[in-house]
Amino acid sequence: MALVGAFACAHTPQLLARPGTEDREIVLRVHEAFGRVKHRLEALRPDLIAIVAGDHVEAFFLSGVPAFAVYVGTECAGSFGHYGYRFPIHEPVARAVLEQGVERGFDLFYTQDARLDYAFYVPLHFTMPVPAVPLVPLHVNVYLPPQPTPRRCYEWGAALGEILRGRPERIALMASGGMSHFPGTDRYASPDLEWDRGILERLCGGRGHELAAVTGEELDKTGNVELRTWITVLGAVGAARAEVYCYAPSWHHGNAVVEWPV
Amino acid sequence: MAGVSMEEASAHDLHYQFPPAGAYRLNRCLFALKSDREFLARYLADPRAAAKEMGLDGNEVRDLLAGDRDALLAHGAHAYLVFMAALRVRMEREPSDFEYF
Repeated sequence: MALVGAFACAHTPQLLARPGTEDREIVLRVHEAFGRVKHRLEALRPDLIAIVAGDHVEAFFLSGVPAFAVYVGTECAGSFGHYGYRFPIHEPVARAVLEQGVERGFDLFYTQDARLDYAFYVPLHFTMPVPAVPLVPLHVNVYLPPQPTPRRCYEWGAALGEILRGRPERIALMASGGMSHFPGTDRYASPDLEWDRGILERLCGGRGHELAAVTGEELDKTGNVELRTWITVLGAVGAARAEVYCYAPSWHHGNAVVEWPV
Repeated sequence: MAGVSMEEASAHDLHYQFPPAGAYRLNRCLFALKSDREFLARYLADPRAAAKEMGLDGNEVRDLLAGDRDALLAHGAHAYLVFMAALRVRMEREPSDFEYF
């Protein structure tokens, strides 16, 4: 019974360090939705947060590019600008995810010392409940082709959900990333908000499984390579109907915050 | 596109492409700008010397210092690395332009 809540949170760094080009009202709307997630987490009282994020070529540069990775150290740490952060890792659950994941046919990479990217930190900066809980950080490769297919992400998420439900701890699952954005490309100022809205409509209708059939090319074309983290969580939550806390698109980014009741 | 398969043609259209091995040093330099504080400090003090330290060729150094995204992408730089390296440089050069939460 141990999966107590599931969420997806935007993590664009402008939510943490806002440049003048960013609409403050939009940023604050996303912060407000993060605040709701924090209150929900405090009510759900998880023993840990298993967070699925896509490393932004921070922990895993070209010396090694895993499709899926599990952090299994005693703690994990990283920095972004003047933000430094450090979190304890829930080792028993991290090891269970690794060992049972491999047993189920997912050839997972693991690390005890890789840096923790801001993709993990940004949502936690705003949503970590009080008192704070340890993490199980789970990486999905979203930016360095060839990335895992959406179907593989969904399958891994389904296995992950089964593993987490088999644990005695109370576990919150969180996807970090999305929605449409094109950093570093000539489409940066043209996120595909229509595609995002269509996806959110499907999620609200409990049709998240349909995202397993989306192609990697479609994710790239719509600025949604990071949606692999959501698709992983969708594998775990099945047909649950999403509640959208906010969809607050900026001029370059479809900021969304979502909860799935589990 | 003679000699290019449909699959390859499709891959060439992607926003985020496989980083070609020939661009390794350029991508390593961008990675260091975004993720290595000491290198970033050296770059801010002397951009040209720092870029050369990473083994970039003359055109790559020129385009990096000019912040010419399209040229960097044409050299094989990964789009996300170009974006975040530029943002990190800006955060250090103009820290008061940001509101920190």
